[in-house]
Amino acid sequence: MAGFFSTCAASDHYCLQLRSGSAHHELIRPNKYRRTMIRCCSTAKGKTRRDYYQVLGVATHSTPQEIKEAYRKLQKQHHPDIAGDKGHDHALLLNEAYEVLMRSSSRKADGFGKSRGGFGSGYTGDGYSSWNGPIRSQALFVDENKCIGCRECVHHAGETFAMDDVLGSAHVEVQFGDVEQQIQVAVESCPVNCIHWVGSEELPVLEFMARPQPKEGHGVFGGGWERPKDVFAAARNFSRKLEKQERQESSRGANGGEDMEAETAAQAEARRHAGQELRWKSLFDVWNGLGDWRKSGTDR
Amino acid sequence: MAEQFYTVASDSETTGDDKAQQSFPDVAIGIDIGTSRCSVAIWNGHQVELLKNTRSQKGMRSYVMFKDDTLSAGVTGGATKEHAHEERDILSGSAIFNMKRLIGRMDTDEVVQASKTLPFLVQTLGIGVRPFIAALVNNMWRSTTPEEVLAIFLLELKALVEMHLKHPVRNAVLTIPVAFSRFQQTRIERACAMAGLHVLRLMPEPTAVALLYAQQQQQLMQDNMGSGIEKIALIFNIGAGYCDVAVSATAGGVSQIRALAGCTVGGEDILQNVMRHLLPDYDSLCDNAGPTTDRIKSMGLLRMATQDAIHKLASQESTEINADLGNGLKVSKLLSRAEFEQVNQAIFEKCERIIKQCLSDAKLTPEDINDVILVGGCSRIPKIRSLVLGLCKKGDSYGSIDDLEAAVSGAALEGAIASGVTDPSGSLDLLTIQATPMNLGIRADGDGFAAIIPRNTAVPARRDMLFTTTQDNQAEALIAVYEGEGEQAEENHLLGYFKITGIPPAPKGAVEISVCMDIDAGNVLRVFAGVVKPQGEATPPFMEVRMPTLDDGHGWCGQALAKMYGSKLDLAVLPKKLHP
Repeated sequence: MAGFFSTCAASDHYCLQLRSGSAHHELIRPNKYRRTMIRCCSTAKGKTRRDYYQVLGVATHSTPQEIKEAYRKLQKQHHPDIAGDKGHDHALLLNEAYEVLMRSSSRKADGFGKSRGGFGSGYTGDGYSSWNGPIRSQALFVDENKCIGCRECVHHAGETFAMDDVLGSAHVEVQFGDVEQQIQVAVESCPVNCIHWVGSEELPVLEFMARPQPKEGHGVFGGGWERPKDVFAAARNFSRKLEKQERQESSRGANGGEDMEAETAAQAEARRHAGQELRWKSLFDVWNGLGDWRKSGTDR
Repeated sequence: MAEQFYTVASDSETTGDDKAQQSFPDVAIGIDIGTSRCSVAIWNGHQVELLKNTRSQKGMRSYVMFKDDTLSAGVTGGATKEHAHEERDILSGSAIFNMKRLIGRMDTDEVVQASKTLPFLVQTLGIGVRPFIAALVNNMWRSTTPEEVLAIFLLELKALVEMHLKHPVRNAVLTIPVAFSRFQQTRIERACAMAGLHVLRLMPEPTAVALLYAQQQQQLMQDNMGSGIEKIALIFNIGAGYCDVAVSATAGGVSQIRALAGCTVGGEDILQNVMRHLLPDYDSLCDNAGPTTDRIKSMGLLRMATQDAIHKLASQESTEINADLGNGLKVSKLLSRAEFEQVNQAIFEKCERIIKQCLSDAKLTPEDINDVILVGGCSRIPKIRSLVLGLCKKGDSYGSIDDLEAAVSGAALEGAIASGVTDPSGSLDLLTIQATPMNLGIRADGDGFAAIIPRNTAVPARRDMLFTTTQDNQAEALIAVYEGEGEQAEENHLLGYFKITGIPPAPKGAVEISVCMDIDAGNVLRVFAGVVKPQGEATPPFMEVRMPTLDDGHGWCGQALAKMYGSKLDLAVLPKKLHP
């Protein structure tokens, strides 16, 4: 991610060079501090959870234990104590990934994880595109249904847009990856006007909806993958659904404790009994069968 | 910063290209400067070795003796047995000790106020400037500074190591208390620079112990072919001046610091409490008109008798104190352990508080802890042992660590690791992942404190936060960087400040200013700040500032800034728009 702080540092650097020659700039930035060319400042917000799993090289369904082990292994290679100053950025990324993933996995372990089955499952609340620099109020979004795959936008702002050759449509890879002017040209160049400016808060939902979703199957019919026809409408519906769910969950959370305790001792006993029966039933059956067989054997 | 600490020229030597060389001679040494005792350790190629001085002591008394024209520190301690400094000499006024308690502190600090009872001169004005410190030489007070005293001491330590290794040493890893502010850390670095040492790392004491523990656990694992189970250790360190706690998660030779906490209580406070208990008019003895020769003498005698009694109480239920302090003053008392514990109740409560805080910060319960490690001189006090073990619900503490040598050994290990030494047998296949002990942030929303990097964040760390202007067409904004736990900026330590100028005119709240903080593995803090919205030709370049920029620790600066600029250059925290 070519970032925002690097551009700033670089321009700063450039001025210095202009003013007082490169000798001075060597003095100002001795070798040791070469990494002060900080590459990206707001890494935290730009990444999706998937990126973090990639950073640590673990599967998305990894247990906290696996995440921890991967983190330690990688830190042992990249921590500045071992890899020297050049390990700084990598170690930062590892720390960040570890923190985010451990937070989310401990949340899951605590039973707060929201599992949404069927349509819309897998929504994490993060967008797919990353951010170059800090989050701004506006973001770019490509309506991939309308996109005809002309590559105009990729041509004009290659850092921002990327082409998905499988789907045959363009999408935003890095928000504000190019300077604003280039982005504007790219937006205007689209022959079908499928590049939209949207509010950053809508972005994660839109980007999520734009991806092909697993379709809810009914028996042998349906199933497979589909992408909503009208992304914007679908996103509106989806966020409404999310809101509703959240409201329900919070109201359930508020009196959830009582619900839990409402189970009487007798009920608990019954539940335990049922569970036991389920577990042992097959054995009982075998035993009974054996008995029958034996009985019939003696009869014979 | 005004002083240049480092000889920058060859700094990159220790990192990068030279890594692979096994015989790289410049392995950083480990130094533990305690309030009362110091030790130094080296990595001798296959293990950590503690060095002994000419009197074959491993733990050397931390003091510097000022004589007519010679200075001698506790390392050599008067060089030979015949000239050995007695405790009596050290307490005669001509030796300065406890510099670790005094370094980088203002005279309004209660630790400095408590140090006024020491047998050398600590003069305070009580306005928030450096205290005046002097040693008695030929019946005359000769001024010095804690940094200077420390530097003299370090110089002797360095000579000792060089004599042993037969080659010069340049890099060192020092242990520091968790409670040290960043300003105090710069003072330590300054003292090291004066002694010709480059500080490779400053390690909080319990984290050094944690690293040693990680090494032991790994060796244990290799021996029994055990699996890499994560072990949680609580390390409690109480020395003469400071008390620290750390919770570390250890697996596969990696010690991950989960939480840190520390405070400025230690053996010195215990000692003073007991002296006050033994001699009710103790304060009038030392406060009135400063120390005179016979007052110093009686205070020294009392101190020695009390110290002795405290040591005895570690193994006995009660002890008798009989001391003739001169001038008709006599102390004779039977001190029981219960009485001793009663007198120091407040100190034990403080220890309890930081352990509880550390555990809750690490989000762990006492049941999660596998080992409790007790280190530091005062950890031998029965009450402290039982208190820590009780809080952690453990029967006994971890045994295979020496309570006085653990910190320095850990520092030497870190020195070897960070210098790029590898060991074929795998005993250096270790890593410590440090955490920040305090919140770091800037002043915002008036007198508020906006923490950008919260405490116990894994290092290296980088975080940023968006701020906005509070006035219409505000052209400048003041970034005042603070460190501490307080909700208000003034309750915390001011580390430095700078202005962002040339903000494009805009209504208040429209401009977005990003402030980013970056801590590298060497614990260097850099602050980056600049306007991110609106962007364009008109916005000024970003700023990168290395902290702390302040040259002295007094609190005037923050007050002056607030008085001078008030809300004119204020910033407000911009609420986050996205909640990933």
